This record gives sequence, structure tokens and C-alpha cells, in this order.
Amino acid sequence: MGKPLPPAAADSLLPPPELERFRESRALSLGVELELQLVNTHDYDLAPYSAEMLRLMSKFELPGAVVPEMTSSMIEISTGVCDSAVQVQDELSAIRDALVKCADRLNIAVVGGGTHPFQQWHERRIYDKQRFRELHELYGYLSKQFTVFGQHVHVGCPDADAALLMLHRMSRFIPHFIALSASSPFVQGQDTQFDSARLNSVSAFPMSGRAPFCLTWDDFGRFFAKTTRTGVVKSMKDFYWDIRPKPEYGTIEIRVFDTPLTIARAAALAGFVQSLGAWFLEEQPFVPVEDDYMVYTYNRFQACRFGLDAVYVDPSTGLHVPLREHIVETLQRIAPFARAHGAAWGVQLLTEDAQRGINDAQWLRNVQAKERLLAEVVRQASLRLGGAH
Amino acid sequence: MNEIMAIWADWLRPSAGLPTVQWSILLAVAAAVGHLVQRHTGVPKVVGYSITGALAGLAGFSGGAWPLDGIALFLLELGVSVVLFEAGGRLALRWLRHNPMVLVQSLAETALTALLVYHALRMFDVWWRVAEALALVAVAASPAVLSRVVMDTRASGPVTERALALTTLSTLYALTLVNARAGVMHRGTAELGETLFPVLVVLGVSFVVGAVLALVLRMALRFMSPTSENTSMLLIATIAAATAVGSHFGGSAPLAALLGGLILKQLNPRPWAWPRQLGTASSLLTMLMFVLVSVVAAKAPWNHAVIGLVAVMVLARAFAKIAGVSAATWGSGTNLTQAFWTGCTLSPMSSIALLLVSQYAATAPVLAAPITSIALPAILLMEVLGAMLATFALHRARETSLADAPEGPVAMREARG
Repeated sequence: MGKPLPPAAADSLLPPPELERFRESRALSLGVELELQLVNTHDYDLAPYSAEMLRLMSKFELPGAVVPEMTSSMIEISTGVCDSAVQVQDELSAIRDALVKCADRLNIAVVGGGTHPFQQWHERRIYDKQRFRELHELYGYLSKQFTVFGQHVHVGCPDADAALLMLHRMSRFIPHFIALSASSPFVQGQDTQFDSARLNSVSAFPMSGRAPFCLTWDDFGRFFAKTTRTGVVKSMKDFYWDIRPKPEYGTIEIRVFDTPLTIARAAALAGFVQSLGAWFLEEQPFVPVEDDYMVYTYNRFQACRFGLDAVYVDPSTGLHVPLREHIVETLQRIAPFARAHGAAWGVQLLTEDAQRGINDAQWLRNVQAKERLLAEVVRQASLRLGGAH
Repeated sequence: MNEIMAIWADWLRPSAGLPTVQWSILLAVAAAVGHLVQRHTGVPKVVGYSITGALAGLAGFSGGAWPLDGIALFLLELGVSVVLFEAGGRLALRWLRHNPMVLVQSLAETALTALLVYHALRMFDVWWRVAEALALVAVAASPAVLSRVVMDTRASGPVTERALALTTLSTLYALTLVNARAGVMHRGTAELGETLFPVLVVLGVSFVVGAVLALVLRMALRFMSPTSENTSMLLIATIAAATAVGSHFGGSAPLAALLGGLILKQLNPRPWAWPRQLGTASSLLTMLMFVLVSVVAAKAPWNHAVIGLVAVMVLARAFAKIAGVSAATWGSGTNLTQAFWTGCTLSPMSSIALLLVSQYAATAPVLAAPITSIALPAILLMEVLGAMLATFALHRARETSLADAPEGPVAMREARG
């Protein structure tokens, strides 16, 4: 009796999967997912409570959904389809309130932030679900190091080609998103000197980075067919790009945000994305070109490393400007669209923070400088997510 | 064994006295055995410590005289106090307010344990006063054993957390009740007032000592970092002082430490970083505690009748703890399977139980012999078996560090073909 075929070889005998049809969605509708940390209230290390949290949460009538994530100390909440950032905030707040109630019953706390400051990756446990087990088999320790926490923002697109156009336009603003949401300066008990160290964990995966430069759905279909024929990729889920099309929802999904420390900031960031999208659709301000991506990796690194103090290289002019200035300019440019979509308050919040050079990474560093105890930083962050301050 | 000791005594005249040398060597052997046992069998180190102590006790090691007194009693109380201070500091009253079913689970398993053990022993014609004393001793699960098991297996999760809370609460009840009951036993039949008064005295004095301990540490934490080595030293020294004072004023030293930890947790909600800092000093103290318990317990007179009664007591206790926790599962945030494993983790008996028996021995000499003849073997048995059962339960609840291990490497080999 021969050895069983390795999974990849067995899969190669199946016909290659087809790219899903891009479904219809309301243009500029929003959907937000937040990956959150579950910590104990003794030493504030990560705690494997996702199964219990899911069981308790199932008793609440809530908008959106609560689902497990790769390791059992994580939980993901998501809104339903929202029209505005205000609705996003309302739905996330309702789910957050229920989460805090369940956490209190289990004697744990729920925390935002892109990384847990001092958890040891090898102590994590894979959540008991077929897909997570398979990913663990494939990626080994990377799957446990992937205990990082992000915010994903879905924005509805009128059609498939418009989605790809919007995706590549949004790519110019990836550094803005990273710097404004950065909340992962500490990893394994050390200050990494990055504002968003979380994205370094994502970069380890083979299918991470930027999406291929395709501006039509037909071109993208051909790219997908070529990739799936190699057997390396089985579905769109296997791409961990910074922004990816999500054909089953009719959206594009931006995945570079660290989970913010507050629900208000998460909603404000969603409002920023929606306002940018409105600007793109109404004014068609520029046409993306493949050369935009020449500075993409550099800009992305700058934003991860220095946050709001990064340098931004304008892809069209090649000019080097402080990222903070470019963020403020961008936010002012889209302010009318923000007002029209009820996101003015969020854009104002982000503008003020950008002007003052403050993001969540800075807040975490300030607390650590004062308290000199990362566990206390986590405790105060849990109060912040709960709405205490 | 005694002949060897006699030869030693003639040949060796160390500065700190022969018992110090004997204890040092015994602890060194226990440390090595604990390490080897864990490395080669996967069971917790505490099993190795207990087996070493038990073998030494059975061989006639003279280091643990019963009833305990003097420095041995103080060291045992200090070890228990350090463990209970930490256990109390883990118990957030806020949790009990948000989830009162945890308290109900605790009361259910405690009450059922006391009742079942009492009636089971009475069925075998044990005198009611002895059965009552043993029933109260059986209430206390061992935070010392459980915390060592949790540390060794790096366990965390809902079963682990609840088990630690329930052992702490059961210890709190047992220490209060036994201290109070032992105080009035020699009076024959007691009025309700006569029974309640000692309970209040024990609780009151222990609370005052615990509160002073908590306030001192709270003040220290205003200017000292919880991660500092000096804070850990201050902690141990202050607990030692409270331990020495607590009993002297009519309270219970371990109870004072437990209440001290509990009060400090409420006054200072910041995370507790001390356990890591306490490090080797605390581990040595804990190991000494386990060895001492097993040395003493192994000296109990063993016979067929006692073995039967020990079995009855242990089985009734295990059943009651599992049934009590499971009966109050509804609305507690965990499921029945988790409640079952939580009940299993409450099976260890160790130093607290020995202290309680020691208390009966000191205050009710008439009852001392029959109580110790059943309690000591039960303690020895459940220190070893209880640690193993707790490890197994936490592993089956998928809360140990091994939970992912078997599937990972095997799956990888299969994936490579």
C-alpha cells in the first residue's frame, strides 16, 4: 500500500476552480470586520476563550456576525451592509457591548490593537476548525505568528471593472490607511520601533502584498485562471493582498488597517474609505497606472515604520512629502464627500489626529512610558475599547 | 533509615545541625526526581516531589514529626500562605458579581462534598464527630497542587480559570469552618451563638491581618514596580510576618493571606506580574511544602480498615465535587463537559488539608488519632493522584500547551508524504 498523496498533489487531480461572478452591491455601501483580542484579567496575556465567547454571543440578537479566527484567543466581529460610518459605529458598538457583557461573565477582557504586546506565539492554539487546521498544516509556525489583529473595510462597487479601478486608486492611499490605524508597536514584549509591526507578520505569507495590475474583470479572470492552474491557489480566500476584490460581496476589501483601540476610530477609518470612494466615483480624479507601484513598497514600509512621521513619495510626481501633510491634504480634499455621506465627524477626528501626529501606536507607547508594564498597557487598552476613556 | 541517621549523627557535625543537611539532601533528590518524572512520563513535577517525600516518610525519615509544630509548621504555613495570597489575588469579586453562577457552583460542590463525605463515612460506622471533621477537611481542594499543575502544563482557558477560582473559594470555606469548629469541639454540644462566635473571631482577625497586609503592599506598589525583584522580596517578607502574627492573634495565617490577596486585587486592579518574579525562591518553598506534606502523611498507620475508609472518602469527595460543579453549570458560561473536567481538577488534596488536620490534632486530641488515620493517607493519595487527574483533565479540556502538539507534527509528516 503506497503513501497517501500530499494534499497539493491530490488537489492537482481536480479541475481548476473558476472565478466567482462579481455580484451586485450598492455603490459605496460599507462593511467592516474587526479582529479582536481576548485576554485574561489576571496578567492580561491572550486567553483561549473564542469558543465560549461564540457560544454566549449566539444568545444575543445583533446586527452583523461574530466568527472565530485562526487561533483561539481571537474573535472577529463584522457589521452588516451599512450605508454610512455612523451606522458602522452603531452596529460595532452594539456588538462590542454584547462582547463586553460576555467577557465579564467569563472573567476576560476584549482589546483592540494590531498585536498583543507580549504574547508568545508558540503558546497559541489553533481554533478547532477544518480550514484553520489545514492552514496550520501548510504554514506551520506562521499560522500561530499570524495572531495579529486587523480591520478589514469592504466598500461596495457599481460593477466588477469599477471595483478593479477603485482598488488600484485606493492603493495610492495605503500608507495613509496604515499610518492612521497603526496600533502594533510592541511584539513579543519589545518595542519594534515600527508603528505597525503587524503587517510584517502578514508579509511572510506567499500570497501577500499588492494585487496584480488588472483594470478589467476579464483580465483578472485570466490571471486567476493561470494562478489556479498551478495549484498554488484554490480560491480568492488564498490571496492575502493589501486590497483584494471580493466578488461574492460585490466589494473591494482593504486589509491593511490595524484594529484600532476604539470603535469610533474604526468607524472613522471606514468613513475615510467611503469618502475616498465617493471622490473617485464622482470626479474620476486620476487613472491608476502600473508605475504607481514602483514606490508602493517603499511608501508602505515608511508608513509601517514611522507612522504619521513617514515620508510619502507621490507616485505620479515622485515628490517626497511628509505623509502627515499628504494625509491632511487628502482629508481636506474629500471633506465635501464626507459631509455628503455623514462621515464628516470621522474625517475631522482623523484630520485632528494627523495634525497632532497622534495615532494609537503613539497612545500605546505613551502608556507604556508612564506605566512601564505592558500588561497594564493591555488593561488600559481594554478599558478604551469598552468606551471607558 | 534510622541506623543510617545514627551513623551520620556520629560522623557529621554541621554548623546548621544535622536536620538541615538531611532536609537539604531530601529536597535535592526531590528536585531531581520531579524533573525526571516530568521529562520521562509527562506527569507534573509535584508528583515527583510527593513520591520522594512519601518514600522518605515510609523509610522512617525523621524530619517531619506529627503533629506539626515549630519551624516545620511555620514553613508549611508560609508556603501555604504564599500560594493562597496569589490564589486570592487571582479571584476578582467583579467576576462573581457578573457571573454569580460561579459562586453557586462553588457553594454546590462544597456543600455536596461535606454532606456526601459525612454520610458515606457514617455508613461505615465512623463516629459522627470524626466523620464531620473529615467532611470539612474534604471540602478544601488544593490551590497549591493545581497552580503547580497549571504552571507545569502552561494551561490556560475557562476550565483552568474556573478550577483555580473554585479551589480558592473551597479553601476559604474550609479554613473558616475548620478553624471555628476546631475551636468549639472540646466543649461538647454547642449553642448556635457559641458556634458562630468563633467563626466571627477567626474571620475578623484574619480579615484585619489580611487587610493590613494588602494595605502595606498597596502602599509599596505606589512607588515600586510589580516587576521589580525587590517588590517580590518585600511581598514574601510581608507574608511571612503576617503568617507569624495571624495565628498568634486567634486568626488563621493562611486565611489572612488569602483575604490579603483578595483585598489587594480589589484595591489594585493592575495586572499581577509577581508570580514570574517570585521565581525560584517561591518554587523551592512550594517544593518543600509538598515534600513535607508527603513525608508526614506517609507516616500514617496503614491497615485494611483504613484503606477502605480512605477509598470511601476519596470516591465520595470526587463524585461530590464533579456533581456539584456540573449541577450548577446552567448559565455559568461553560458547558457540561467543561464542568466535568473542572470537577476533576478539584480532586487534589495537599498542604491545606494537612494544616486543617493539624489544627484538629492540636485542639481536639481525643479525635486526633481517628481523624489523622484516615485523613493522612487520603491526603498522600490525592496529592499524587489528584495532580495526575488534574493534568489529565486540563489536557482533555484542550487547555494545556500540549493540546496542539500531537496533531501538528503528525499532520506535517503526513503532509510531506
